[in-house]
Amino acid sequence: MKRFIALLMVLLLVIPAFSIAEEEKVINILSWVGYVDDDTLADFTARTGIKVIWSPMESNDDMLLKITQSGGAGYDLILASDYALNILQQEALIQKLDLSKFANYANLDEKYLNQPFDPSSEYVIPYTAGCPLIIYDAEKVPFEITGYEDLWDERLEDSIAIMDSARILGGITLKTMGKGFNETDPAVLDEMKEKLMPLYKNIRLFGDMDAYSAVSSGEVSVGFMFTPFVFLSMMDAPDLTVVYPKEGLGFGIDGFVIPAQAANVDGAHQFLDFLMDPQIAAHNAEWQAYMCVNKAANEFLSETFTQSPVFSVPDDMIKNAEYVENIGASETLYQEIYTEFKNQ
Amino acid sequence: MKKQSFGSILFIALVLIVMYLPIIVVVVYSFNANSSRIPIEFTGWSFKWYKELFSGRGGFGDALFLSLRVAFWSVLISVVIGTLGAIGMAQRTLVQKQKPSKIDTAMEALSSLPIMIPEIILGLAFMILFNAIGLRSNDMRLVLAHSSFCIPYVFMTVKSRLVGMDTALFDAARDLGASPARVVKDITLPLCRPAIVSGAFLALAMSLDDFVISFFVYGAGEGTLPIKIYSSVKVGVSPQVNALCTLIIATIFIAVALSRYVSSVRAARERKRSFKAA
Amino acid sequence: MMDSSKRDLRFSLWLKLPMFLWTIVFVFVALLYVIGLSFLSRSEVIGVTNELTLQNYARLADPQYLRVLLNSLKLAAMTTAICILIGYPFGYLMARLNPFARSIVMLLIIVPFWTNALIRIYGWRILLTGNGPINSILLSLGIIKEPLKLLYTDGAVLLGMVYALIPFMILPTFTTVDKLDFSVVEAARDLGASPLHAFLTVTVPLTLSGLMAGCVLVFIPSMGLFFLSDLLGGSKSVLAGGLIQRLINSRDLPLAAALSVLLLSLTGAVIAIYRKVGGSGDLSLF
Repeated sequence: MKRFIALLMVLLLVIPAFSIAEEEKVINILSWVGYVDDDTLADFTARTGIKVIWSPMESNDDMLLKITQSGGAGYDLILASDYALNILQQEALIQKLDLSKFANYANLDEKYLNQPFDPSSEYVIPYTAGCPLIIYDAEKVPFEITGYEDLWDERLEDSIAIMDSARILGGITLKTMGKGFNETDPAVLDEMKEKLMPLYKNIRLFGDMDAYSAVSSGEVSVGFMFTPFVFLSMMDAPDLTVVYPKEGLGFGIDGFVIPAQAANVDGAHQFLDFLMDPQIAAHNAEWQAYMCVNKAANEFLSETFTQSPVFSVPDDMIKNAEYVENIGASETLYQEIYTEFKNQ
Repeated sequence: MKKQSFGSILFIALVLIVMYLPIIVVVVYSFNANSSRIPIEFTGWSFKWYKELFSGRGGFGDALFLSLRVAFWSVLISVVIGTLGAIGMAQRTLVQKQKPSKIDTAMEALSSLPIMIPEIILGLAFMILFNAIGLRSNDMRLVLAHSSFCIPYVFMTVKSRLVGMDTALFDAARDLGASPARVVKDITLPLCRPAIVSGAFLALAMSLDDFVISFFVYGAGEGTLPIKIYSSVKVGVSPQVNALCTLIIATIFIAVALSRYVSSVRAARERKRSFKAA
Repeated sequence: MMDSSKRDLRFSLWLKLPMFLWTIVFVFVALLYVIGLSFLSRSEVIGVTNELTLQNYARLADPQYLRVLLNSLKLAAMTTAICILIGYPFGYLMARLNPFARSIVMLLIIVPFWTNALIRIYGWRILLTGNGPINSILLSLGIIKEPLKLLYTDGAVLLGMVYALIPFMILPTFTTVDKLDFSVVEAARDLGASPLHAFLTVTVPLTLSGLMAGCVLVFIPSMGLFFLSDLLGGSKSVLAGGLIQRLINSRDLPLAAALSVLLLSLTGAVIAIYRKVGGSGDLSLF
């Protein structure tokens, strides 16, 4: 009896290992969990017979580590942020797209093409765009917040939920000093560090989803978060106030690239084309709660989405918004400042 | 044994209750009807997360399966290697009545390192090593890494059992002319069986629970269950995870209860038999 | 006679060989890689250059990294202290239960290992949030007026640490107390020692090896658990394990490796002290 059970277990565990060896059409995507709706993935598989495997990543840095360590083999698509994609391109780890394979390419909004991280749009298909915003509860905060500078106010002690990013928190500090997000001058960064340090005592927690959860449940009164989390907080608590920081916005695009060593290049193109379909793009923009980068999808967006202050940022602010760019080894300086900042 | 005071039973119960609080929360929330993105409030009872879990959406089944597959092979490898290692090392002290050699002591210390050093270092080490030798297969990477930290658990459990063993048995067997292999097969192994089993269970638990090392080691793919859970905690955990964990807990408790029942029935039967024989 | 002992030697070598090989290939070589990496330097964007340097270790001397290390040591020490305070009496009392109750308690301690640690931590998150069960109960009982700040505090991180590691204190103390010959304690009592006095002068010294093993098994991993401060502490502090992860993620592998080597030697020192003071004891759970 015992032997039989043991044998059964061995069979149960071994058989699937073999069935994978059988030629199956798959594409393997490396990205944050939940960036494309599961229904969309299932729909894609139903239409094309290509199975989608979603490899979770924790952050852009985590992705870069994985790809640079493995050379990118094993993945057919990577969905990550602008500056990280730029690093991949510089290291020749991704391949050019074959635009002729796309039927829906013209649907993309030109505003998001030919950007600094991919000047002639050869490598990246933009998927989402956004800018971090401040959101706060006017009933609990005794003054009006208009920009980043206000986050340092003494009255906000232990009441801010903020994103966990060395470059962006460094960046907004630089903005309050009249500098830009991509400063590399060590002297200026030293000044930035002095300025940044006291912000710590106002911060209750660092995070993305955690920050949203704390803001929408009223556990904190101020949040500085990425677009979707601000939008979701507004949905849960419509009385919150959204602020377009007066010092200027940071801006980012998350997009898809195909690794140089991708096994199923054709399937990757098919998947991207599928995502650029107006209705599917609209569905995922709303589901993901980022700005929609697909012009043709606009007519399918709901009013709650288009009317939200989160998606009504004035055009000139967006035009002047700054990308977080790949600044090479100066990145280490930001990281060191940030470690010190967090370790008070 | 002395009768326990009320205070000490209260203390044990209290600690256990705190230990099980979060698990109870997980079980209760697996029935939560709330379907907002972050379902903190409990809004009513529902089975929908179980339905979603079984519909296969979210891929938790695949992750669980990978975890089980990796755990199975790692436990198998570590039981064989760890047990043989422990017996081999004990051979010198038990059968030959000599002090352990310097190499043995050094090897023992080295082999126990994987459970001594902070996990993240081992994760980093394996990641670098596997990438350097170009090992790509996820299953292989995970099994090799898990086996490495499972071996010391099996080794230590079996070894501590062997240390307390009566050497007279071995002497008698050797005097009767049994070969070393025969002694191991007929005496050492049967005596070690309970230790091997508990070592295997410990290794199984550690393999299923491991997140840090797996996180660094695995390459392309959806990842083991802990990896899947960690990456979804970051984006707001799906209550499906609660449902899955509830099922796992239930399975364990049922399995344990069944095995206790079976062994008590067997014990009763044994008693009957010996009674008849008498 | 000579022949048979040679045969024995060869036989036991065959038994040990797989473990020796495994240990050398996967543990020794892997750690050598880490040590080697710690002497290389980071290249401009990604990867490492082949120049040998001591620069990584020099960078670790920076006060900020020392502070990370000190904070981690402090948290590890506090975790260990609380684990002793709760785990040692628990292991002791558990060993004195009748065999049936004891096996049930043992089971109850091991079972949570099979459920995922992350999920249990997630359970704590639900419990501790501002509008979670603990606060709601306290509010409805009128004990507090405002929800307490429980989650995203240092206390929450400490709770998580103790919670995750306390079995490693309970199990070794249980084992040593279980092996303890209680007639010695009885003798001390007969000679007129008070229960407390007998406990402190007889039981504690005799079970010290288990207690020490527990301390090592709690102290060392607590320096490496990086995800607890993430999930319960709102990522508000950087601990040694978290710093290694952060460095790995910012692709500064050589510095991460150097920090790992430092942590590794610290671990070695702790184990060496343990072996000196605690003597023979095996660091095993059972």
